[in-house]
Amino acid sequence: MDLALKDIRRHLGKFVATITGVAMLLSIVLVMNGIYQGNIADGVWLIDNTATDLWVVERERGGPFNESSRMPLDSYKSIAATPGVAQASPFALYTAQRDIGGTRQQFTTVGYDVFGGLGGPGRIVRGRAIAAPHYEMVADQKLGLDLGGRVVLGTHAYTVVGVTRGAVDSAGNPLIYLSLPDAQEVQYQQDNRALAAARSTNLKRLERAGYPPEQASRLLPLLSSAGDTVNAVLVRLAPGADATAVAAHIRDWLYFNVYTTDEERELMLAGRLRMMSAVLGLFRALLMAVSIVIIALIVYVLTIEKIRSIATLKLIGAPNWVIVRMIMEQSLALTIASFAVAYGLRELIVPGFPRTLTFLAGETAATFAVMLAGGVLASLMAIWHALRTPPQLALGG
Amino acid sequence: MPVLEVDGVSMTFGQGEHAVQALKPATFSVDGGELAALLGPSGSGKSTLLLAISLILEPTTGRISLNGREVYDNGPTGVDVRAFRRQNIGFIFQQHNLIPFLTAQENVALVMQLNGAGRRQAARRATELLGFLEIAHRADALPANLSGGEQQRVAIGRALANEPRLVLADEPTAALDTERGGKVMALLRRIARERRSAVITVTHDRRMIEGFDTIYHLDDGSLTAVTRTEEGRREGRAIG
Repeated sequence: MDLALKDIRRHLGKFVATITGVAMLLSIVLVMNGIYQGNIADGVWLIDNTATDLWVVERERGGPFNESSRMPLDSYKSIAATPGVAQASPFALYTAQRDIGGTRQQFTTVGYDVFGGLGGPGRIVRGRAIAAPHYEMVADQKLGLDLGGRVVLGTHAYTVVGVTRGAVDSAGNPLIYLSLPDAQEVQYQQDNRALAAARSTNLKRLERAGYPPEQASRLLPLLSSAGDTVNAVLVRLAPGADATAVAAHIRDWLYFNVYTTDEERELMLAGRLRMMSAVLGLFRALLMAVSIVIIALIVYVLTIEKIRSIATLKLIGAPNWVIVRMIMEQSLALTIASFAVAYGLRELIVPGFPRTLTFLAGETAATFAVMLAGGVLASLMAIWHALRTPPQLALGG
Repeated sequence: MPVLEVDGVSMTFGQGEHAVQALKPATFSVDGGELAALLGPSGSGKSTLLLAISLILEPTTGRISLNGREVYDNGPTGVDVRAFRRQNIGFIFQQHNLIPFLTAQENVALVMQLNGAGRRQAARRATELLGFLEIAHRADALPANLSGGEQQRVAIGRALANEPRLVLADEPTAALDTERGGKVMALLRRIARERRSAVITVTHDRRMIEGFDTIYHLDDGSLTAVTRTEEGRREGRAIG
């Protein structure tokens, strides 16, 4: 006779309620796993999905993700001329917050050379890549845009020609791809009042330097070169080229910082992602510990509730394995059923969750194993208590 | 041949100057078909004696023989006490102690299954036993849905499940009124007579005293007297 099963069947409501409660807690643990891994996946998504071998950034800078980096637009030409470099492309990257589709949305704009340059959208799920030099964009579906949609950024409207899925920056914000000139224009474009103020300031600076007003007016355009900078240059190596040697050459001769994709990844993980990952990891560990303690308590209480029955079983001569089996089965049933329900809840939560959730099968299995071990440990404690219960407890009033 | 033989059994708890002798050497025997009572006030040693003859506590000294098999002889004799208890002793508790998540029939069948009976065979025999106890119609009820008297009868059914030679009852009538207590006594007597089991009851319920064959009086840890009742004399019992 399966005593555990009989107990569960007779107290089904209580058992289901317990499983539901534990499952809700476990689902938070599972979602935390997803948030933790999603945070890392988001953080390195752009690095992993930009088909480049080297990232060249401003000297002494850890850019373009961890800190700002500004380089002259033309620098990509001298980098392209470096021995071992097959291709070098300018790359612009900045975060913006604008009204899109009627709501204020934060996104990161990527500007790249749309005519064969590096850094463009890798996987377009609908539509095509940008083919015109101006006013076309590829947007991630997270922005809620569809093909043919038009978005006003600054003074121009851009038409969505392609849609990506899961293209995000390190904060999980969706990406917008523009041609490099468009991206620079959106980034640096100033309104007329700001332009007038800047022009006036520069004019006064030239006059203070001794230039007559007429000459100062002619020199003025040379001082407004904001649009001529990029944030990084992406490099693809020639077949057989040594990345270390090429990087050293660029570092020594062109005075830029160079990172391989792996180094850029490390920069991101050790910098921007480190604190958030530590916080999420801590929360995850705490939640898991709390879950195990709660499961342990429930298993223990379930056993204590039956202690008189256990004493009776011992008194009427039931072998120890009958009692051990009853406790262990209930503990395993509780843990496994709770995890299964938690897994189902997780699947329900995922589609509507505002951040990227990344689940690793190994990690989910490890979480299950830890929970199961907790349940078994708790049942061992309960078994220890049950086996120490004297049968004479069943006697008397 | 007696079902139970108790020879010089004593129980001492603790050691040295903290030692307490809860039961002084007691000797008696109970035959099959006999209904005996262990009678005495609280602290008289009757519960200690019950634990000893239940094979739950090992006696400090003395010999216990059950169904012709020596279980203790100034120490264990190598008998698997728990299995032996399951096969030879049935228990009836004051609070019935039915397993709350098993039906009446399952409570009875459980003991049979623990003793190796198959599921169907145990269920059939449990139903028969509940019929013998006139409670077959409540076979599928959970203990919480049974009255006190019904629970007691199911508990008796469980005690009889493995057809034990010795049935031990701990205050079976204490929680019942005189009428229901009388019915339980009648049932215990019927079990003793029809099944030829030795039935020993721990009690301080003097209302039911006349229903027993033999009464073992305990006081301050000693077996002080043995009384043969009218019922016992009618049955022709000698002082054990």
